[in-house]
Amino acid sequence: MKSTPAMIPQRPALRAIMHALVLTALVCFSSLSASAAATFTQKIDPPEITLGNTTTVTISIQGAEANDFQLPEVDGLNVISTGVNTSISLINGAFSTTASRTFEIGASHAGSYTIPAFDIGLQDGSTLHIKAMKLNVVPAASASSVPGLPAQNSPPSPPPNLAPYPVFNPNGPVVMPPKVPVGPTPPDASATTTPSEVNPPLEPDGRPAKVFIVIAPETTDAYVGESIPMRIDFYLRLDVAAQQDSLPTIKGSDFLINSLTGRYQEEQLEVANEPYIRDTWITAISAPKSGDFPLQMVRDTYWVKRVRVNFTPLSNFFMTQPTLEHEPISSNQLTIHVHSLPDEGRPAHFTGVIGQLKVTGTAQPLTVAVGEPVTLNFTITGSGNFDYIRCPVLAEDPAWKSYVPSSKIDYQDNTHTQGVKTFTQAVIPQKSGNLPLPQATFSYFDPSTKQYVTIPISLPGVTVTGSALATTASPAAPGDSEAANPASAAEFLPNRVTMGHLYSTLLPVYHQPWFWLTQGGLLLALALGLLVMFIASRRKKVDDSGERLQQQLSLKQEQEAMAKAVSDGNALNFFVAARHAIQLQLGAQWRVNPEALTLGEIRSRDASLAESLEPLFTQADEVIYSGGTGGRFDLAHWERHVRELLQPHLQTA
Amino acid sequence: MPFFSFRPRFCLPTSLLVVFSLLLLPALRADNITADIDAANRAYTYGSYDEAAKLFRGIIAAQGYSAPLYFDLANAEARAGHPGQAMLNYERARYLAPTDADIDHNLQLARKQAGLEPNSYRWWQVMLRSINWTFWFVLIIVSLTLLLLALIASNWAKVFAQGLNMPEARLRKICKGVFFIFIPLSLVFAFVEVAVIGFGNRIEGVIVAPKEGTLRLSPFDSAEKIGTIPEGELVTVEDRHNDYLRVEARDHHFGWIQQKEIEPVVAGSFDVPPTN
Repeated sequence: MKSTPAMIPQRPALRAIMHALVLTALVCFSSLSASAAATFTQKIDPPEITLGNTTTVTISIQGAEANDFQLPEVDGLNVISTGVNTSISLINGAFSTTASRTFEIGASHAGSYTIPAFDIGLQDGSTLHIKAMKLNVVPAASASSVPGLPAQNSPPSPPPNLAPYPVFNPNGPVVMPPKVPVGPTPPDASATTTPSEVNPPLEPDGRPAKVFIVIAPETTDAYVGESIPMRIDFYLRLDVAAQQDSLPTIKGSDFLINSLTGRYQEEQLEVANEPYIRDTWITAISAPKSGDFPLQMVRDTYWVKRVRVNFTPLSNFFMTQPTLEHEPISSNQLTIHVHSLPDEGRPAHFTGVIGQLKVTGTAQPLTVAVGEPVTLNFTITGSGNFDYIRCPVLAEDPAWKSYVPSSKIDYQDNTHTQGVKTFTQAVIPQKSGNLPLPQATFSYFDPSTKQYVTIPISLPGVTVTGSALATTASPAAPGDSEAANPASAAEFLPNRVTMGHLYSTLLPVYHQPWFWLTQGGLLLALALGLLVMFIASRRKKVDDSGERLQQQLSLKQEQEAMAKAVSDGNALNFFVAARHAIQLQLGAQWRVNPEALTLGEIRSRDASLAESLEPLFTQADEVIYSGGTGGRFDLAHWERHVRELLQPHLQTA
Repeated sequence: MPFFSFRPRFCLPTSLLVVFSLLLLPALRADNITADIDAANRAYTYGSYDEAAKLFRGIIAAQGYSAPLYFDLANAEARAGHPGQAMLNYERARYLAPTDADIDHNLQLARKQAGLEPNSYRWWQVMLRSINWTFWFVLIIVSLTLLLLALIASNWAKVFAQGLNMPEARLRKICKGVFFIFIPLSLVFAFVEVAVIGFGNRIEGVIVAPKEGTLRLSPFDSAEKIGTIPEGELVTVEDRHNDYLRVEARDHHFGWIQQKEIEPVVAGSFDVPPTN
């Protein structure tokens, strides 16, 4: 969807607020502006025109508000349109308003004219005296005979990406050929225009219409089926702009039009000193039958309607009540003269192509065996109705069998009348030798010369090797099916007589949900297993570290018990603690119950260790069995011995 | 008189008759199928190609899909002068039997006679399309199952070792071996599967519209025509919008074509989202 420029407030409330702010500002500075003396300027530009062109009279009043006024009537001069422009300026602290009124004037015949002097009444009761203005109108051979029509001289370049378009002329172009030359260049420099040259319908207040459509076909004389490039300009005054939700449509069913969807350009411009938004479509129409038909387009338009109470320079700010409404807006109406194509000289294979076209042809490969295809490529370029272009016709040649071509179109302009259409067609040689390819021709109707054109396409010869193909025969009798084969049946391999492996579906199993569910389920189970293992290992690690801490604590307690027993001289306690400390340490190392570690168990695991521990364990047994009364011991020596035994294990722990 | 009286002396013969009849059913059915195929081939031999094609289509509808049936149907369509249907059924036959040289031969011959360029499979296409998905699925399932079992066994090695009456260390060794072999193997399987499905499995269709199918710029009846594709040409389906399919022609041009002008090589594949 297109967007309206951001500078335009779309909501009535916002517009009202803006108007109120401006009004407040004007009221605040009204004393300044009222106290200033009223001044005015007048001009006629240009003072000399060619018959058919227009000039503009501008009267600007500064520092005062004028009553409504018109130019005096002059015989031979017509006021085509009027416009109003109001500006507010702050100069050296003084706030002033300038209201300009423009009159676009055309003349009905050549000569010298004088617009007489006249007075303009101001709202404060004073009067401004406008001097007489002279206008010289010179005759021009090529000028339009319709008074007041826009000039067609020295137009500026058209907007980017859009082809230049003809002046909006209510009567349309009337000259049958010359036509547009081949190529994307403008048809004629004089056929271009600028926005200021657009002659919009006028409102009762003299301002240009809020919304209007101008259609400008390239020609109003055409042939049946001919594509006529056409420009559609939709103008919407900024003060009534709203987002549109429709496309222009053609009135009636006398014409076909190319699709408009997505092929338009929006821009902002001024028409008769009024800001407008213009949507432009470049398209093409064609008529399916001959005759004179009215051409008009209509667009269901969404716009802001507002009530205008009276004309004052400040009326824009006061008297508006915006309402959004739909209204179908019609364009200017033209009459298109559609001619039948001449019967005389019509080629046999003419398909209705009208335009100016070029065609080339190539063939690949140039050396083939009998029965192998040669690919022909035809390229048709230029301007015309591309929908009607068919593949160039190949002459009947028994040496070649041709097949249905494929085609492709690349359009080179928005009207789809300029483009490149390519055809690819296969032909198969039926015999060997140096064979010329079948003669190819392409026909179209050139509207500029009003003649049919048939272009012979030169194609290279092809070297064909191998033996000739068997020609197809008439329908065969039962039992001779090969001869009835429309293709060369002799080379087809025969039918199978068994069914082979049967499938209930051709869809591969990976389209079945169970295929993915089964694999996914297994992968999920694997992932879950890994997760469980990970959690278990973490938990075991925690358990192990707690157990190890407990063992270290116990070991420390036993060491303290040993030290206390040494200081107390209690042999029983010492040996009990010493043996338990050794058991604790080894139990932790071997991950077995410490109480279960006897000397025999230790010997089964580590004989050398058992040998070093044997004196301690034996002595401990003796002391325990004797109740600690077995004699005196050098407990300090034993303690050192035990600590030496424990030291490496403690370090390990 | 009771509606039904059980007489033991008739029980055995009746049961035998029923069982015998049930055993005979497949044989009778096979005879019917053979008779159908014979009838179709007879029609083909005597030049009634349309009739033969109709009979082959009936057999496929009743029995299911097979490469020989599609091959025979395609031959009949080709002889009947229906290049689109012929090429479609050759493509279907080739899809089911990518390495069958006879199918490719007749397909290429039919394409040549229709003025279409050859489209024989390349070696990698043959490789990708030759994958037996049932076998492949079994491989993957076995591989994943073994990995799962090894994972469980290694986690509860002591219990399993006692149950299997083998040393725990040996069981752990076996589990490690399974991991060592089947983890890389599973990764390879997964890679090939993704590659085959992602790159090798394009949704294809054959133009069956008489003479040519019309390519349009967008999926609407009013859209501009941007070209044509001859009947019988194989195209790749990229997208779908209502009754229109976006296709890529062999010359890499894209366009929208009405679904009625194209038939899927794999029946039903237009109804599943494209995988490429």
